[in-house]
Amino acid sequence: MNIVELKNVSKVYQSGEHEVKALNDVNLEIEQGKFVVILGPSGAGKSTLLNLLGGLDSPSSGTIIVDGKDIATYSADELAEYRADKVGFVFQFYNLVPTLTVYENVALIKEIAPDALDAKELLNKVGLADHYNKFPVQLSGGEQQRVSIARALAKNPEVILCDEPTGALDSETGVMILKLLLSMARDYNKTIIIVTHNQNIAKMADVVVKVKNGQIVSVDEQKKPLTVDEVDW
Amino acid sequence: MLTRKLWRTMWQYRAQFISMVIMIALGVGVFVGFNMEWYSIEKNIDYAFTQTGFADYRLVNKAGFSLDDYNQIVGIDGVEKAARYLSVNTAVKDSSNVITLTVTTNPEVSGFMVINGNTYNPDSTNGIWLSDQYAERNHLHVGDDYTLVYQTIEITGKIEGLIKSGECLIYIPDESQVMPDFKTSGFAYVSPVMLKNALGYEYYPQINVISNLDKKEFSEKANAVLGKTTLLLTKDETISYSEAMGESNEGKTMGAILPVLFLAIAILTMITTMHRITTNEKTQIGTLKALGFKDCTIKLHYTSYALMIGLMGSLLGIGIGYGLAYYIMNPHGAMGTYFDMPQWNLYMPCFGWVVLLLINAVLVFVGYLSVRKMLRGTPCEVLRPYVPTKIKNLKIEKTKLWNRFSFGTKWNLRDIFRHKSRSLMTLFGVLGCVLLTVASFGMKDTMDAFIDVFYNQAINYENAINIAETTTNDQALAICDLYQGDWAAKSSVQVNDKTLSVEVYYVEHNYVRFVDSHLKFIELSDDGVLICQRIADDNHLCVGDEITFSPYGINQSYTATIVGINNSMSESIVMTPAYANRIGYNYKINTIYTKAKDIAQDSVIASTLSKTSILKSFDTFMDVMNKMIYLLVIAAVLLGLIVLYNLGVMSYVERYRELATLKVVGFKDKQIGKILISQNLWLTVLGIIVGIPVGVGVLNILIKALASEYEMVLVLGPVTFIVGIVATLGVSLLVSFLISRKNRKIDMVEALKGVE
Repeated sequence: MNIVELKNVSKVYQSGEHEVKALNDVNLEIEQGKFVVILGPSGAGKSTLLNLLGGLDSPSSGTIIVDGKDIATYSADELAEYRADKVGFVFQFYNLVPTLTVYENVALIKEIAPDALDAKELLNKVGLADHYNKFPVQLSGGEQQRVSIARALAKNPEVILCDEPTGALDSETGVMILKLLLSMARDYNKTIIIVTHNQNIAKMADVVVKVKNGQIVSVDEQKKPLTVDEVDW
Repeated sequence: MLTRKLWRTMWQYRAQFISMVIMIALGVGVFVGFNMEWYSIEKNIDYAFTQTGFADYRLVNKAGFSLDDYNQIVGIDGVEKAARYLSVNTAVKDSSNVITLTVTTNPEVSGFMVINGNTYNPDSTNGIWLSDQYAERNHLHVGDDYTLVYQTIEITGKIEGLIKSGECLIYIPDESQVMPDFKTSGFAYVSPVMLKNALGYEYYPQINVISNLDKKEFSEKANAVLGKTTLLLTKDETISYSEAMGESNEGKTMGAILPVLFLAIAILTMITTMHRITTNEKTQIGTLKALGFKDCTIKLHYTSYALMIGLMGSLLGIGIGYGLAYYIMNPHGAMGTYFDMPQWNLYMPCFGWVVLLLINAVLVFVGYLSVRKMLRGTPCEVLRPYVPTKIKNLKIEKTKLWNRFSFGTKWNLRDIFRHKSRSLMTLFGVLGCVLLTVASFGMKDTMDAFIDVFYNQAINYENAINIAETTTNDQALAICDLYQGDWAAKSSVQVNDKTLSVEVYYVEHNYVRFVDSHLKFIELSDDGVLICQRIADDNHLCVGDEITFSPYGINQSYTATIVGINNSMSESIVMTPAYANRIGYNYKINTIYTKAKDIAQDSVIASTLSKTSILKSFDTFMDVMNKMIYLLVIAAVLLGLIVLYNLGVMSYVERYRELATLKVVGFKDKQIGKILISQNLWLTVLGIIVGIPVGVGVLNILIKALASEYEMVLVLGPVTFIVGIVATLGVSLLVSFLISRKNRKIDMVEALKGVE
């Protein structure tokens, strides 16, 4: 079953006097439960793709069907509900609320998603049992990213979107985060879409989508993806 | 190139820039306005007084002074000039208007300035020099004939000139009137020759003196040469001088209190704003430093930004100040209804310029400090974005209550404590807004209650009849019977070297009533006297104590028991005739109060004053006050709007990333807006809770400072509180609404890119 379907999606940005076509007539289908890596050089349009999937932005044309509904036509409030229910985010720079504690950062999801998972249980799973009452600035980068993974999972979403989740981390920590992300996704049976320019991450993916100049160049299914430990970092 | 950046920075932060300029302009405007007001009052009345020979001392003897007495006084060493002087209320023939007929034997003392017409001629037998204001409002011109009636004597003459006089700088024909009303009353000078012709004899109950001697010295010397103790009034005891000084003091108080409030808020806001701008530009500051710009160049760049704000605010403020001062101090403005001055120039006191310089210096210093803080360290350190102070766990988090709070509440609470200065500023802004609205509307409540109780209710008569000086008590009582009235006998006495009034009241019909400090009416008692609040305060007297007073002209003193303290405009000791008889005090009836509307002319009656005309004289006064109150309330609301908007935008920008994150996670615009509004609302409510008592306190101080001579009682109606609270909440909600609307425009994608 396809959880995500993009049909003829284009996104045009108005930048001063010229138009920039960030995405040009893109079609893509993603099956539920898969681990998808969107690969491409910077400026290729991969972040735009992720933003559209995440409901952070609306396409200029085309349909984006997530879980059977076309989110391309959603209003701002409907998009907010969509973001609250269907997708979890993990960002390169974590984007935690600095004035809330680790626990509160995850628990705040309860306010918008009534069936959110228990924050403490999630934090235990990501290995932050001792850090409930710390503020984000008191944690290392890797720890902060764990919080953000816990936050993304807390909504119990269909899809988890990650934008360069290891981009700000050293490689060792990055590997640990990826391991965590994958094992969590498997445990909870989530679809994961990672946007990156790191070729190594792609080796682990079920599906690798290559993007260049606003268009999808190739979609490769990998029958035997490597495990995190098999990848030569 | 940096100059160009300066302009662009200004444009980029235009909301902050404009609001800072307005805040400073408001503060400077209030400062310049009120200080110019009082200084101009002092300069202009000084001009009026020196030009017309305003007297320093007035010797008063109802029996009149002879030429011999005059020569004795002029002969005193230290007396510069003197004049025998008469000032008496007369009726205008075929009119209900009152003219105070004035005669001075020496035009250089208590004289006048001719504004239009012929100069004064001391030998004129029919020349009248009439108040120009009165002439204008009654359509009288030089050359017109005019007839005044004193008792039954008609005095007819020709208007020779239109004048202004220092003695009548604030012209009030009768003590119970509050404001001049040149439509119904005015003053006129005639020559001593004309007076003698009209009366058939000379009568001068005053000698006015210009002298540098102090009161004690002059009093001793005058009593010695005259051979008896004589009532001596200093210029502080004249309406023109004391009220003008009162106005000047009001200006001083306003010019000291209000600008402090406005400027304190302006400077504090400046601190937060400059801090915010320099932290926002920290990376740019670092870049400049890395490029090789010297620290001092960068400092100059940002301090000149602060200087621009200061200079533009000051210039605009000086403009506002001139406008405000002119609004109050022009012949047709607020003071124009009060002062009758020949000159209305505006003057700025020297210290004002010094203070303006200081304000700008402080602003520049604030700019300097903020940029210096950002410049500390190596270029590499400076290049790193500013990290706000570490978040600490609040004490309240240890309580169980904390877990019950919604995350929005927790977030807001931590944010308030994290950005303490911003929160405090918001609090100050709200506080200032509440304080000003409550104090200004409270002022109106107090004045309304004052007029209602002291005039509408306490004055229960239609007409007050002033009995002529030469009348006996029996003649007066006959008039009293005729009009079925109550009566009073008022005369000046000395208490501890101070001139007070002893008033004996016979109030069978309660035509005059007495008010206590709770605005309740109190009855006179046959067992003692009422003293007014000021006497009680000045002499530390309370009920049960005794007070000793001595009338002028006789060497005897009386001691009375105090049975009550009342609030009164005249500084007086009040008793019944029965008590006066008990202590052996001799009084002379001089006023009759009656319900009768028509009072026939009589040789015993000097003049009458109706309750309607007393109440009418408040109209202009209230009008002026209402305008001032509305101005203050507008300033308050403006202040609140600017401070809250400025800080709201700042808070919004500082939390932009957090807001974007919330939005990404799935919070709706409304939910985010609610969180933003609720933080503002808490601070507003807190500001109101603190602001109301502070406002009441300030009002109390203002009333004591500005109107002690009225012995007003602080009154605050529920409407004042409601309006104060609603206005402030309204301002706060409006600002919150404007700010929370912005979160629709949050660019989630953009906000997530940067580094925290």
